[in-house]
Amino acid sequence: MTLHAVDYLILALYFIFVLGIGWYLKKTVTSSAHFLTSQHSVPVWITSLAFVAANLGAQELIGMCASGAKYGIMTAHFYWVGAIPAMVFMGVFMMPFYFGSRARSVPEYLKLRFDEKTRGLNAISFAVMTVFSSGISMYALGLLLKLVLGWSFTASVLVSAAIVLAYTLAGGLTSAIYNEVLQFFLIVLGFSPLAILSVSRAGGWDGLRARLPMVMTSAWHYVNQSSENPMGVEVFSLVAGLGFVLSFGYWCTNFLVVQRAMAARNMAEGRLTPLIGAFPKMFLPFIVIMPGIAAVALSQMGLNYALPTKGAGYDYDQVLTTLMAQFYPSGLLGVGLTGLMASFMSGMAGNVTAFNTVFTYDIYQSYIKKDAPDAHYLNVGRFATIAGVVFSIGCAYLTALYNNIMDLLQLVFGFVNAPLFATFLLGMFWKRTSANGAFFGLLSGTLAAAATHGLTVAEGKGGWIAPLVSLHSTMAQNFWVAIAAFVVCFVITTVVSLVTSPKPVSELTGLVWGVTPIPREKNIPWWERPALLGAIAIAAVIVLNWIFR
Amino acid sequence: MDLRKPSGYFFTLLGLILSLVGLVAPDTRAPLTEVNVNLYSGIAMLVFGLVLLLLARRAAS
Repeated sequence: MTLHAVDYLILALYFIFVLGIGWYLKKTVTSSAHFLTSQHSVPVWITSLAFVAANLGAQELIGMCASGAKYGIMTAHFYWVGAIPAMVFMGVFMMPFYFGSRARSVPEYLKLRFDEKTRGLNAISFAVMTVFSSGISMYALGLLLKLVLGWSFTASVLVSAAIVLAYTLAGGLTSAIYNEVLQFFLIVLGFSPLAILSVSRAGGWDGLRARLPMVMTSAWHYVNQSSENPMGVEVFSLVAGLGFVLSFGYWCTNFLVVQRAMAARNMAEGRLTPLIGAFPKMFLPFIVIMPGIAAVALSQMGLNYALPTKGAGYDYDQVLTTLMAQFYPSGLLGVGLTGLMASFMSGMAGNVTAFNTVFTYDIYQSYIKKDAPDAHYLNVGRFATIAGVVFSIGCAYLTALYNNIMDLLQLVFGFVNAPLFATFLLGMFWKRTSANGAFFGLLSGTLAAAATHGLTVAEGKGGWIAPLVSLHSTMAQNFWVAIAAFVVCFVITTVVSLVTSPKPVSELTGLVWGVTPIPREKNIPWWERPALLGAIAIAAVIVLNWIFR
Repeated sequence: MDLRKPSGYFFTLLGLILSLVGLVAPDTRAPLTEVNVNLYSGIAMLVFGLVLLLLARRAAS
């Protein structure tokens, strides 16, 4: 793939605009709250798109196209099963408590609802995890640019990190969010042509169905048994593991996305954020997954296009870029590449802005220095932003050197995260849930996750305690690990709560169902009613599932 | 800041650049592309950019 002057011009134009937005927003940063939380100043259409864009990193873009080529339309389950229901639940049922609590972060909510140790556990694991995942995606981008364009790994990692640092340091969370929306537009407009060109070249959806095995083009026909589909999952673990535990855990409790909804101007708009975001989200599979499916068909059409290979197998991670080389002439190629950069930057800025807030408020202000003037915390926030970027770069190199260590770390953080949704569910909807119940529930859920991983084997992974059960894929293993963690956390939290003393109800106002005022939905137009919007989103996603069944 | 403004300017410029490439070098093709894709996506982005600018203008007045 070779770039021409016009492609570099487009890339430069994009850099100027993101930096310009950051520079322009610099004057809005007058306190630590403006810098770290946007002080409820962001309009709802912007928070909604940022809610979706913060999750749409380069790894997501590359990975979804890769999964499209590997698994077919079943990949859309990560959206239609694994995101939309959770986003609706978040908007309709959970945002009132996040907003009502006036917490500035998810760990802070845990502190208000439970106690200090639950917050500490969540804050520290979240802070470390964000830095690692931002480093891993930086590594993925650097590797890709090196492979495809021959750019130096160090140069592309440092330049893109420096730009993200510049605009988040200038305008804080507001700047990150505003740029995420610009980046979202660019990703959609830059990659839609690829989806249209590749799918129509393969004969449209009917052409794909005719050319590919049935299992590649049906989302639901082959999920009764894990041996029937390439994902190696069956319907229960798919719906309960991915659709319930993992997706609700991510979309409802991960501060990276929750932070976008918390930046909304008021509770009503905070609730609308994930609900409005659900609509663009449900159509993203057509842009990010379809090209991958089309690539498989194109490779069988005698067009001189073959799926990229690595050693004896396919290198699915390169499907997206090889397609760009086949379909994008100079000019649009620049837009596509800029879109890839944009997705990387929106993912990284998301991580960095979540990291600096949790570090400043939940670690520094809670454990290191409590009663300093606000200007001090603003400086700490800025310092944490720089540190977050520097740590991410370090992690990118660590990943390059020790891939296995990073895999292991991701696995361990997965265990810590898996039970989290059970804690939130009980904490938000059952007044009796006690602080000790939550803490020991989380710990035992994490242990259950590790134990499930140790007792099951899939594709040579896991089974380090005893290989009792053999599963078809690591994906199925992930889903079962999550299910076990959720169930154990739920049961232990309930049991411990029943034998320990709960928080007095007077301290739970704004935090728990029943003692939090929920805004009435009468007298507001239908498009602003959370329950109705949520119902429409669910109905639309059922129709999509039915069409692609 | 009304975000529609900078986004609008960005996509208007991007659309102009792409359409221009499509007009000046209409035969620029990638191996599997049969149409002047630069021109068509350029026009789409130009329209998107102008719509954003129009919306921003209406909101301001």
